[in-house]
Amino acid sequence: MNSSAIRFLLGHVLAIEGILLLLPAIVGAFYGENSGLIFLLVAAVCIILGLLMTRRRPESNVFYLKEGCVITALSWIVLSVFGCLPFVISRQIPSFTDALFETISGFTTTGASILNDIESLDRCMLFWRSFTHWIGGMGVLVFLLAIIPLSGGSNINLMRAESPGPSVGKLVPKVRHTARILYEIYFGLTVLEMILLIVGDMPVFDAVTTAFGTAGTGGFGIRNDSLMSYSLYLQWVVTIFMVLFGVNFNLYYLLLFGHVKKALALEEVRYYLLIIVVSVGVIFIQILDIFKSVGESLTHAFFQVASIITTTGFSTTDFDMWPETSKTILVLLMFIGACAGSTGGGIKVSRFVVLFKTIAKELNSYIHPKSIRKISIDGKPVEHEVIRSINVYFITFMVVFSTSIFLISLEGKDMVTNFTAVAATINNIGPGLELVGPTKNFSGFRDFQKHVLMFDMLAGRLELFPLLILFKPAVWKEMLSKKA
Amino acid sequence: MFRHNNDKDGLNIIIVGCGKVGRALVEQLSKEGHYITIIDKNSEKIQNLTNLYDIMGIVGNGASYSVQMEAGIEDADLIISVTDSDELNLLCCTVAKQVGDCSAIARVRTPDYSKEVSYLRDKLGLAMIINPELEAAKETARILYLPTALEVNSFAHGQAELIKIKVPEGNTIDGMTIAHLGRKIAPNILICAVERDGDVTIPAGDYTIQRGDIISFAASRKVAKQFLEDIGFKTNQVGNTMIIGGGKSTYYLAKLLMNMGIEVKIIESNRQKCEELSILLPKAIIINGDGTDEELLKEEGIETAESFVPLTGIDEENVMLTLYARKVSKAKVITKINRMTFKTVLNDLDLGSVIYPRYITSEAIVAYVRAKRASRGSDIETLYHIFDSKAEAIEFRIREESSVTDVCLANLSLKKNLLIAFINRNGKIIIPSGNDCIRVGDTVTIVTTHTGLKDIRDILS
Repeated sequence: MNSSAIRFLLGHVLAIEGILLLLPAIVGAFYGENSGLIFLLVAAVCIILGLLMTRRRPESNVFYLKEGCVITALSWIVLSVFGCLPFVISRQIPSFTDALFETISGFTTTGASILNDIESLDRCMLFWRSFTHWIGGMGVLVFLLAIIPLSGGSNINLMRAESPGPSVGKLVPKVRHTARILYEIYFGLTVLEMILLIVGDMPVFDAVTTAFGTAGTGGFGIRNDSLMSYSLYLQWVVTIFMVLFGVNFNLYYLLLFGHVKKALALEEVRYYLLIIVVSVGVIFIQILDIFKSVGESLTHAFFQVASIITTTGFSTTDFDMWPETSKTILVLLMFIGACAGSTGGGIKVSRFVVLFKTIAKELNSYIHPKSIRKISIDGKPVEHEVIRSINVYFITFMVVFSTSIFLISLEGKDMVTNFTAVAATINNIGPGLELVGPTKNFSGFRDFQKHVLMFDMLAGRLELFPLLILFKPAVWKEMLSKKA
Repeated sequence: MFRHNNDKDGLNIIIVGCGKVGRALVEQLSKEGHYITIIDKNSEKIQNLTNLYDIMGIVGNGASYSVQMEAGIEDADLIISVTDSDELNLLCCTVAKQVGDCSAIARVRTPDYSKEVSYLRDKLGLAMIINPELEAAKETARILYLPTALEVNSFAHGQAELIKIKVPEGNTIDGMTIAHLGRKIAPNILICAVERDGDVTIPAGDYTIQRGDIISFAASRKVAKQFLEDIGFKTNQVGNTMIIGGGKSTYYLAKLLMNMGIEVKIIESNRQKCEELSILLPKAIIINGDGTDEELLKEEGIETAESFVPLTGIDEENVMLTLYARKVSKAKVITKINRMTFKTVLNDLDLGSVIYPRYITSEAIVAYVRAKRASRGSDIETLYHIFDSKAEAIEFRIREESSVTDVCLANLSLKKNLLIAFINRNGKIIIPSGNDCIRVGDTVTIVTTHTGLKDIRDILS
């Protein structure tokens, strides 16, 4: 294992976090908040540590998938630990566990909070909280790849470990340019949303943080009631952008280069939109009599569906009060999640497409036992290896999921709470039902349960294996044995 | 805003076919910073290569229009088609020429087409048609012309040669310094590089040659022959040769050798191939039999053969045959290695001359790519890899005055491990000494272990 490369890249990640921490410090200075100085302090620590770690170049630039996974998992842990320090030092979230929970929830774009009174936090704290969504949405290592020239072809292993989806491809031959294009699209869409929100009379601070929350499909609001009190126009803007950020970014790349036909033919995106339309339709009919007008029902139905399937987790209404069928649909949507190659979480639409096609193939083989049929997506055959890994992913997901529910249940809360709490964290959504419903939060859990949920959030964001690999003792043995 | 528009940045290159040559190309070209997309029908090969190098891979048929579009043929500068099939390669390039505005290189190796190569190239508008078997045969023939050399590369379009020899025990130059050698024996040759225990050095004047060193020197053909005679090497070209295996390379080699007046004997186990060869090569002696049969080899006179070239399709067999031939005869033996990469092991076996067709091919293409890039800002004419890519010989064209022109070479502070091998001034080859200088209009060949030199000024430290 190339431990010097791991050290080197971790150093870079820390230094970048230090630089990013300067932004909330500026916000703090702008609003005249003293807590802004804390960000300056933490930023300095991160940058110095980062510089120390990157002073010596690694002996070898070559690393393989295992190193890519380890770097990714460790980066996210390091990011979260340092990212939560401002909350702890400022005593705005005094408990370390709570602060870490909040920060992991931010970076993994979950949006599950332990704060009872969000509005009591300083502006710079709220800014950092939302900004973590934006950083975590596209991934910090992808950012690293975009700005730092790392030689060698091993970089793809970093991107593969961090980016969501069953198979990670490139848009252009070089990883660096691919990463840059992704960030350019990401940045462009975010700014567009901010402008549209500001045009709709949203205060600038709210617009910026809400756009961060939408772009990363995170879901931290800066008000206690999430987005309930904003105007209809603003809610629609957010709805549409949530859907947009849940789309595979390949689509935007294809559109930008005028391959409209190819973009529209992307199978995953089509199914994604179909699922949204059907879910909105059913929920809309069910909640017609809850709200005053047809328009309001449609707004809420669409907003909630978009918020859950893209795993954002904003809310405009307490959907815990909705009919059982609607709630069930929302819980199912949690697992489906967004498209691969987007900023959203969940199991991903493309995995489900393959899984369902596998079922169809299996059924077919009962009727024609000797028939041969290849599963294809976008007209291209899916390799057996990919199908196998999707199946294994699904099974592993279920194992992690059920183990977590069991551990959570030790606390004695009701089944729906436990189930949706795990579902909402492992799929990076945020709110669940009952005690963790949209108007409530995760502060009621004990520390042990919070740790389990933190693990779930990271596992969900990194798609299980990069994190699980850290639990293999052989990995640590290898990493520490050749300590340079 | 998403385009890479920087002209120093490298070319957009599409490589179709990820076999031995494709791999070697990807390895070299991605190191030089080009934007590479590979196409192959085999997804496993694509997977392997994209894991190793920073390139994009597409699974599919490279000759298909839609696959080429997906690979970005519209923006490509160059398409290189090196699949197994000649016809597919030609089709790939033809389709690509219609769709995009790019240069095309195809590998064509069937003897049927070999006579029509220049016709095909002109009619299809290809930049280059390469034939690894033919190139390998040419190189083999060059060595047989100068049998004491391990390797002979032509330079400056045939006017100078880069010759590689191994210093035998008890030779006059064993223990001699480079400076001494230059003064005493051969003022007109230049020792470019020395390989000792697998490491390559570009020697300075105080470097001492030891027995067992593999040295490369540059000289004109006549001078080289004289020098080799002076230090006690035999320099007569061989009179006859025995070739094992009757594939494409055999055909090309036999034809070349017979033109040089060398008798050729071919042993091939497949009767049909023997018959085909006997039609194509009426003057050669074609033996139908198993080339790995010791008795047959003896019967056909391996012990008295002057040279021996195993060209079977199996590397291991070639190596075994070489070892056997070196044991029972004094023949000059040339081994062809297609696939194996255990270079360090092969070196220890003392095989003598070894040729690697895939490197010969990839070198020719890399030289072209560098030249193509040169039209976009650098002045490289050709580039050769010597010592298995451990060192490079680069030919620069000097177009304008710069910090290196009109200064005595002795006054230039060159990089370490870098040497100016020769200067071609209006067709005359100069082996430079400290008093010579580079002038505008010259072509300068340097030898170095540094990679990625792009401009003549890069030679300065």
